[in-house]
Amino acid sequence: MQSMILQSALNHLLEAHQIDIRPLDGKTVYFSLQDLPIAVNFICTNDRIFVTTDATINADVDIKLKSNVFLKLIQGEDLTELLRQDKIMIHGDVKTAQLLVDLLQQVEFDFEEALSKFTGDIVAHQVGKIAKKFKSSDNSLASIKDKITNFLITPKRFH
Amino acid sequence: MENTTHFGFKDVATQDKQGMVRSVFDSVANKYDLMNDVLSFGAHRLWKHYTIATSNVKAGDKVLDIAGGTGDLARAFAMKVGDTGQVVLSDINAAMLGEGRKNLINRGVPGVAFVQLSGEQIPFSDNTFDCVSIAFGLRNVTDKDQCIGEMYRVLKPGGCLLILEFSKTDIALLEKFYDFYSFNVMPQLGKIIANDEESYQYLAESIRKHPDQETLKQMVLDAGFGTCEYHNLSGGIVALHKGIKV
Ligand SMILES: C[S@@+](CC[C@H](N)C(=O)[O-])C[C@H]1O[C@@H](n2cnc3c(N)ncnc32)[C@H](O)[C@@H]1O
Repeated sequence: MQSMILQSALNHLLEAHQIDIRPLDGKTVYFSLQDLPIAVNFICTNDRIFVTTDATINADVDIKLKSNVFLKLIQGEDLTELLRQDKIMIHGDVKTAQLLVDLLQQVEFDFEEALSKFTGDIVAHQVGKIAKKFKSSDNSLASIKDKITNFLITPKRFH
Repeated sequence: MENTTHFGFKDVATQDKQGMVRSVFDSVANKYDLMNDVLSFGAHRLWKHYTIATSNVKAGDKVLDIAGGTGDLARAFAMKVGDTGQVVLSDINAAMLGEGRKNLINRGVPGVAFVQLSGEQIPFSDNTFDCVSIAFGLRNVTDKDQCIGEMYRVLKPGGCLLILEFSKTDIALLEKFYDFYSFNVMPQLGKIIANDEESYQYLAESIRKHPDQETLKQMVLDAGFGTCEYHNLSGGIVALHKGIKV
């Protein structure tokens, strides 16, 4: 259910902002949380993103991290900085990972709430509070667009 | 026995099954929507709603609904694809397709094409559709692997297959209730409302003969889909399998 909602939210984002995800076409990015039983594939194909929990598909990029690091990342913490601090493990192309993270950082989806289904509300809330401290101040939609443009996912209307 | 298949709990000659299934749906066509609401307590609407929500279909897409019957999914897909997309409502049975056409025209749903076809031989070119769906239809198809293979063929790379079908619940109490309901209440309601006990007996039996969640998932993967996952609905009474052609 959560993956279906995230999928809808992501694709709504792509349509609403006319984001061209061709640079991600044909790529599957696998996100797994080391401390929670959560693992999700983002399959980017046919101009859209499918979010699935099926483990049979081979991913191009494999990202492993803890749930608190995931929330920091989603709330704007820099991927390369987290990599440098060894808080995140990436097998595969980091640029592809960055492209997907850019999208996840903007999507209208309450990750904290989704995680709370697994951790219990209180823990997730605490994790979320910590994450908020790290939320970068330049996380506005305008700067997100700039960031996206930097990472090849260019809004179609700017073409 | 060779060259036999099941028709509900009976073994019948493989070549006879399609005709027998046709008689069932010829018989239930004009009461199908009413019976669906009554027998599922309206839950089929929620199951279909979930199917549409998870489909990832967007404006401009081409969608094929197999065994689409009275057109519930086709109608919802038509709203999603808009003027720039296209939906094909298909069914092997002329009476069911006729009800579908009537429903969609009465509701003023534009842009839907109606095609009488068997899911085992889909008369469209390879790589045509963004999404292919089949709701409560696969269990009636004689050669299910052939049908899944055909759905794979007509999907574009990256296209999405949706199979909504009755499945197996692993909740013991629910299973007991469901068995009692299917074999005692359903045929009786069929008799009272549609004057057709036999068809509803077949529908209940065919559900039990349908592959369980894991078996069907493997069939989807065997057909070539790069990924398949399923979601149990109503405790597994129904499951939605979603395959992606990657
Ligand atoms: C239970 S109804 C489902 C109708 C509709 N999809 C729904 O969910 O309300 C099953 C449908 O499968 C159709 N059907 C049976 N065998 C078929 C086949 N080989 N190819 C296509 N449709 C078939 C029947 O004619 C019938 O309309």
